[in-house]
Amino acid sequence: MPPVKWLMHWHPNPGATLNSQILAEASGCAESLGGSKDGRWKTSIIFYRAMARDGASAGAGGAPPQQPPDVPRELLGVALHERPGLYFSILRSHRLVLQADAAFPQVMEKLQSYKARVTLNFEGFQYQLGDFCLRIGKCVPNNSETLRGIMMEVEYYPLSSIEKSRAVMEDFFDIWQETLAKKSLPGHFIHVESNFSEYGLSDHYSFQHTAVQYATCLQQLMAAVTVRG
Amino acid sequence: MECVVQGIIETQHVEALEVLLQGLSGVPKERVRVHELCLKSGPSLGVVPSEVRLLCDLAQSTPSWTIRHVGGSMRGAGAEQISVLVRAIVESKASNNVLRYFYGIGYKLDHELLKIGFAFRFHRGAQITVTVTSVNKLPKLHATEEAVPITPAIQLVEITAPAAADNYNDVVSAVTAFCEYLAPLLHLSKPGNSTGIVPTAGTAAASLMSSGGGKTL
Repeated sequence: MPPVKWLMHWHPNPGATLNSQILAEASGCAESLGGSKDGRWKTSIIFYRAMARDGASAGAGGAPPQQPPDVPRELLGVALHERPGLYFSILRSHRLVLQADAAFPQVMEKLQSYKARVTLNFEGFQYQLGDFCLRIGKCVPNNSETLRGIMMEVEYYPLSSIEKSRAVMEDFFDIWQETLAKKSLPGHFIHVESNFSEYGLSDHYSFQHTAVQYATCLQQLMAAVTVRG
Repeated sequence: MECVVQGIIETQHVEALEVLLQGLSGVPKERVRVHELCLKSGPSLGVVPSEVRLLCDLAQSTPSWTIRHVGGSMRGAGAEQISVLVRAIVESKASNNVLRYFYGIGYKLDHELLKIGFAFRFHRGAQITVTVTSVNKLPKLHATEEAVPITPAIQLVEITAPAAADNYNDVVSAVTAFCEYLAPLLHLSKPGNSTGIVPTAGTAAASLMSSGGGKTL
């Protein structure tokens, strides 16, 4: 059973933009708290779009592809760094998170009902900090360096119960915020609150919880950020 | 990819087939109880119409789900000459909300079946799986407890072996060779090329049952 994990994303102050300096400062804070850097990580989110049956209208002559009726506009695929053999797909409209294995994208490719359009990578360094593991990362489109967001994962090894770990995670988050506040950066980290029960997930933490947090984090990142690379 | 052949056998001879397979494979048989749901894409979804199968393994204490996409089979003069079908296959394990997921993305249930029987998995030149099942229809939606055999007197035998682009010839040879051992009891051929039952299967079956297996026919 995986340990509990919180995702946080960087929320810039009104008018402020994102830049890699924030990332560097956050990494510096992790080290100042005693964190030891021990490798890189990368989680990817893939946006799938529904394909319409009528080939003539699907992008021909510059016309925009039609959305087939009665199906979700979009589907998310999530490939987590900690489990390369697994693949998750999230149907936000139905509050559904499917766990499959790494062959699932090939199934979607063969079906040709949904096509992978955009991939966003969340990547960076990870730091071991006692019972915690911090992963501080940037959100960038695949094959691009354009910074779309900054976020972090905080994992607490001893516990898998979301409720039981809440107090220790909140304490950690407070310490983290205080440490980072000394840098006077134009923004702050916000905890990504996900409604796990809506997705049918229990108090016992799982990879599906992480996939849902990434989907929620992405929504919040897209809503909050004005970007400069 | 996978190599596959199929055949049919009269239910009365299934026990003899089991004896033969036990002797040839040297492995214990596995129970098969698979609820197979065939889903098709809705009318306006997808570049082309698509079909996907969800297999729910009911033989274990906790049901487990597999998504299965059967792709096109090898074509051309070379493919015509071999007696085994070679086709593209993609499979993925899935969590138990997979049916709701596919409904949610616009797929609809076309039909469902329950396959009950046994299988032998062993290595003989290739990793071979022989599955012998009674194919059952469900009178009500998902009512696996009320399944009824579609053809009570006949069961389906399927032999499959995974293959890759660089070894499918060897796998085809292994499957073809294995099929010859079963020839006294059943004809095996490409799915869709039905060759019926073996008229003399009864004699072969009697011989197997009286000898208690382990002897060649």
